[in-house]
Amino acid sequence: MRNFTYNRPATVEQAVGLLEARFGNAELLAGGTDLHDLQKEYIAQPTKVVSLSGIPALKAAPTIGDKSVTLPAGMTLAEIAGHARLKQWFPALTEAADQIGGPQTRNMGTLGGNLCQRNRCWYFRDEHTPCLLKGGDKCYAIEGENKFHAVFSQGHRCVIVHPSTLGTGLIALDATAEVQGPNGKRTIRLAEFFKAPTARDEREHVLAANEMVLSVSIPYTGLANASYEVRQKLSYDWPLVQVAVSFQGGRNGAPATQVKIVLGHAAPVPMVSAAAAAVLEGKPVNEENAVAAGRAAVQTATPLSNTGYKTRLLEVAIKRALYLAAGLPKYWEA
Amino acid sequence: MPWPTQRRIIGTKVQRLDGPEKSTGMAKYSYDRNPRGLLHARILRCPHAHAKIKRIDLSDAEKVPGFRASHLAVKDNEELMFAGAEILAIAADTEEHADDCIRAVKIEFEVLPHLVKEAEALAAKRGTLGGAEDVTNVLPANTDSTDNFAKLAFEGAAAIHEGTYGVSIISHQCLESHGLVAEWDEKQTSLTVYASTQAVPRTATGLAATFKLKPTDVKCITPFMGGGFGSKFAADIQGELAAELARKAKVPVKLMLDRAEEVTVGGMRPSAFGRVKIAAAKDGKIQAFEIECYGSPGVGKAAAVNFGVLPYIYADSIAHKKKTNRIVRMNVQTARAMRAPGHPQNCILTDQPFDDLAAKLDLNPLEMRLTNLPPNDPDAVKEAPNSYLAQRNTIYRRQIEIVRKMSDWDRTWHKPGVGTGAIRTGLGMALHTWGGNGKGPNPTRITISADGSVLAQSSSQDLGTAQRTVTAIITAEILGLMPRDITVRVGDSAHGPSTPSGGSTTCPGTSPAILLAAENARTAFLAALAPRLNTTANMLELQTGRILNRTTNGTITWREACALLQAPVTAEGDWPADAALDKDAALARLWRQQLSNQGVGGVQIAEVKVDIETGVVRCSRFWTVQDCGLIINKLGCESQVAGGVIMGINYALFEECIYDRQTGRQVNADMEFYKLGGIQDMPNIHVHMMDMPERGVIGIGEPPTISTAAAVGNAIFNAIGVRVPIAPFTPERVLAALAQRK
Repeated sequence: MRNFTYNRPATVEQAVGLLEARFGNAELLAGGTDLHDLQKEYIAQPTKVVSLSGIPALKAAPTIGDKSVTLPAGMTLAEIAGHARLKQWFPALTEAADQIGGPQTRNMGTLGGNLCQRNRCWYFRDEHTPCLLKGGDKCYAIEGENKFHAVFSQGHRCVIVHPSTLGTGLIALDATAEVQGPNGKRTIRLAEFFKAPTARDEREHVLAANEMVLSVSIPYTGLANASYEVRQKLSYDWPLVQVAVSFQGGRNGAPATQVKIVLGHAAPVPMVSAAAAAVLEGKPVNEENAVAAGRAAVQTATPLSNTGYKTRLLEVAIKRALYLAAGLPKYWEA
Repeated sequence: MPWPTQRRIIGTKVQRLDGPEKSTGMAKYSYDRNPRGLLHARILRCPHAHAKIKRIDLSDAEKVPGFRASHLAVKDNEELMFAGAEILAIAADTEEHADDCIRAVKIEFEVLPHLVKEAEALAAKRGTLGGAEDVTNVLPANTDSTDNFAKLAFEGAAAIHEGTYGVSIISHQCLESHGLVAEWDEKQTSLTVYASTQAVPRTATGLAATFKLKPTDVKCITPFMGGGFGSKFAADIQGELAAELARKAKVPVKLMLDRAEEVTVGGMRPSAFGRVKIAAAKDGKIQAFEIECYGSPGVGKAAAVNFGVLPYIYADSIAHKKKTNRIVRMNVQTARAMRAPGHPQNCILTDQPFDDLAAKLDLNPLEMRLTNLPPNDPDAVKEAPNSYLAQRNTIYRRQIEIVRKMSDWDRTWHKPGVGTGAIRTGLGMALHTWGGNGKGPNPTRITISADGSVLAQSSSQDLGTAQRTVTAIITAEILGLMPRDITVRVGDSAHGPSTPSGGSTTCPGTSPAILLAAENARTAFLAALAPRLNTTANMLELQTGRILNRTTNGTITWREACALLQAPVTAEGDWPADAALDKDAALARLWRQQLSNQGVGGVQIAEVKVDIETGVVRCSRFWTVQDCGLIINKLGCESQVAGGVIMGINYALFEECIYDRQTGRQVNADMEFYKLGGIQDMPNIHVHMMDMPERGVIGIGEPPTISTAAAVGNAIFNAIGVRVPIAPFTPERVLAALAQRK
C-alpha cells in the first residue's frame, strides 16, 4: 500500500476543498470496505485520503418529511437494513441492504460508499491486468472469463456490471441524490447517477472528482416495491442478478401503474427496463403478466460468451420481484 | 498392551482442550509471532503464465524506505512456468514497505506462449508449455484393461450408459496461509522457525539440509496450525526465502503468503474429466466400466495426479474394466496432495455414472449399490480378519442400512426427475474408502510430577484436528485422570521425531505410542510409589483418581500419591522399529491390526433443493456413516466428518480455479469469486460414527470428504432428472443441463 496523507475534515466544505479536479490522487474514505482493498491491491494509489468520519451531518438520522425521506450519505448499510419505517416503506432498498456482504461489511459500509464504489470486475481488480479502466487498451472480459459480467453488453467498451444493489432499488423508488462540489450543491436523479466508465479517469458515476454525495431522498409515494436477488450463495456473495420493481396498485387483479423495473448486475449501470414496464403497465400483477414482463426485458439482451444464463436469471428475478411487491406467494421458498 | 476393554474416556465426546485459547486469540499461530526486530518479507512473482526474465534492476527497490534485504530465487535464464512463480524476495521494516519494495523492482520479461485450459493443453502442439526438460504437454496415455475386454465387456448387457463427468481444479484455500517466521541465533549457526506445517520435524530437517546445518541446529515450533489439507509438508520456497533474508538481515523475518498467493501457489487439487461407458445386467449387477479420462496436475510432472483405482469402490466386483488416462500439463502451479488425493475425483467419475445407469435400469441406486458391493476378501478374512479387505462388504452393508434409516431413504427417495414446482428435492448417495496407515516413529514422553501434574510431549502437530486432545484422552484413560488434568505439548521438533500429518495417519500413528507411554508411566509411577507406601508395585492398583493399596486396603488420592514422589516420574513410548515389525508377525499384528489399522468404508447421502428456474442448488440435509476403527474422541471424529462434508459441498457447488486464457492468470485468486460456502450455505449434517474397537485406531482426516461431491451430484440428478456433468454444479451449468432435458 502506498503511503498517503490522512485528512479528517469536520465539514463537507472542507472535505470538498481537499478533493482534486481529476480522479486518482485524492480519495474519499467512508466505511473503507472498498477503498482500503483497492489500496492494498495497488489499484487505487491515492496520495491523499479524505476521511468523512469527522463530519456529523453525514451521520445524522434519516429526516422523515411530508413528501420524502432523506437519508444521510454516512448511514450504514446495517442502519438502513434495520430501520423499521424504511423497511415498511422501501423494501426495495432495505432488502437489498440486508443482503450485502456480511455483518462486518454492513456495519462499516455506507449509503454514499455503496453508490460510489468501484466495480468488482476481476480484471480491473487484478493489478497485473492492464484493462481499459487502468489505462490499457482493451477490456479483457469481452473475450475472457465473463460469467459474472454484463448481459446487456452492446455498445459498451467495458462490460462490467455495476455492483451497487442499493442503486437499483433507489432508481425504482425514483430517489434523488444531493451532491456537493466546489461551487455548491446540486441534485441528481438516481436514474442519472450512474455511468459506464471507459477509461482510467472515469468512475462508475457522473459525479466530478471534486464532488461528494451528501444524502439521498426518496419520495414517499406509497408505491409497492421490492428487490429480488438471484444468489449462488446465501452467505457473503454478490448477486448473479438483481431486480428492483415499484408500481401503484397491481394487487388482487387491480391494474399496476407507474411501473418501474430496474435490472442490477446486468449492465455497466443499473438499468431501467422500459420494455418490461410497458408490458405490465395497466395490467394486474399475476404469473402471466410477470412472466411477460421478464421476457420483454431480455428481448434486447446481448450476452457475452458466458452470460447467456443471466438472461434467464433476469427473467426469473423480474417475476419474483413483482411477486414480492404484489404480495403473491413466494413459490420459490418450498 | 491392547486397548483397554473397559473404556472410561476413550470413545466418549471430549471437547478440544485448546478451544478456549483458540476462541480468545490466546493461541499463537505462526503469523502471531513477532520477535524483537522482526522484518516482513514479500515475494516478487512472475505476473505471466510463461516467461523469461530479460533484466532485473533492484536499485530503486533498495531506495524505498524500510528496505533491508533481498534474495534472488531464480537462476540465470530460468523459464518461469506459471503466473506466481517466485523471482525474488525482499525484507523491509513493515509489510507495506515490503509491498512497495517489490513494486519498485524494475523487471523486463520475454513473454512466452502459455496453456491454462485443459482442453487446449490436450490439443496444443508439443512444446507450447515450455520448460527446459521434458516439454510435452500431454504425457503418454496409460491404458489398463482386463483380459478380453473388447470381446466380453458389453455383451448381453441389459443397459449401457455413456456419459461425461468431471471436476475443475480447486485450491486448498488454507485459512492460515503458508509461511513462517525465521530467526537465527547471533552466530548464525542455528535457526528457529515458527512454521505453518503438517510436518514439524520434517520442516526442521529440510531446512537443515538446505542451509547445511546439523539437524539439531534447526528447530521448528508449531503449537497451533490453521489447516494444510496436504499442501504443507515442507518449509517451501517461501520458508527458505524467509530464512535467507533473516540470515542476511541478521534479524527475524516473517514471510506468510497473502490470499492471492495462497490460492495461486499454495497448492491445488488436479482436475479430472472422463468419458464413461458403463453396463449392467437387468438386476443391476455391473459387468463393465470403461473410462477415458484426463486431468491436469498443473505444470509439474504427473506424480500428483492419481486417478488410482477406477471404478473406485466397485473395482473388485466388476468383471470388465478399461481405463485410459492422460495427464495434461499446463502453466499453472503444480498440484499438491489434497485431502484424499485422487479419491474425490475417482468417486465423481464412478458413483455418478453408477446412478445414471441405475436410472436407465429403473433401479433404486441404494439397492443397486448393495448388489455391487465388493466382496470380503477370503484371503484377508483368514490372514487379517480386522482389515478393511476382510470386512468391506460387511461394513458397507451395515453402513447402508444405517444411513437408509437415518435419511428415511425408503420413504423420501423418488425416481429421478419426479416432482413439481420450482424447487425440486433430490437424494443422492456415494461410497468411499481410504487407507490411512499410521506408523512410527512417534515417541511420546510422559512426566508425572509431585504436584500431581502430568505432562505429555511429542513433536507431532495439531492441525486443528485436536491431536492435542487425543494425547490427553489416552494418557488420562490409562492414568485414571481426566483429559483436562493432562498438559500436552506438541508441535516442537525438539521433542524428537514424529511422522508427518498426512493421509489420515496421525491418530493411528501416535495413539499406540501414547498408549504405551502412558502404560509405561503408570508402571514407573507405581514402582516409585511402592517403597513410599511400604509395599510392592504389584500390590498397588491405579484406579480413577486414586491408588488402592492392597496391602492395607487403603486408598490415597492421585495428588496425595504424587506428593510422595521424590522425583518426577518419566516414561516414553514409541512404535517398535519397522524392521522388528517386519520380522515378528505377532508384533506386527498387534501394532498394525489391533492397536492401529488402516482402511475404512463410508457412505454419504445428500439432500438437495434445486431451483429449476435459476439453477441454484442448496444442499439442505446430509447424512453420513463412517467407520474409523476404535474411536478415541467421538466429538473430534464427528467434527472431522462434518468438516469433510463441508469441504465436499464446497467442491460440489462452489469451488473452482478459473484461469484466463489471454493472460494465463487466475482471475479468482481470492475468497470473493473463488466461492466458499458460509454457514447459511451448509446443510444440517448428521454424522453416525461406527465404532469398531477391535480394528484399532484408524485415521479420519481424508475419508469424510471423498464421496460428498458425488453424493451431491447424484442428488441433483435425482432432483431434476438430468445429469449436470461437470462440478462445481453452478447455476449456469445446472440451467444448461436443464435445457437439455427432453
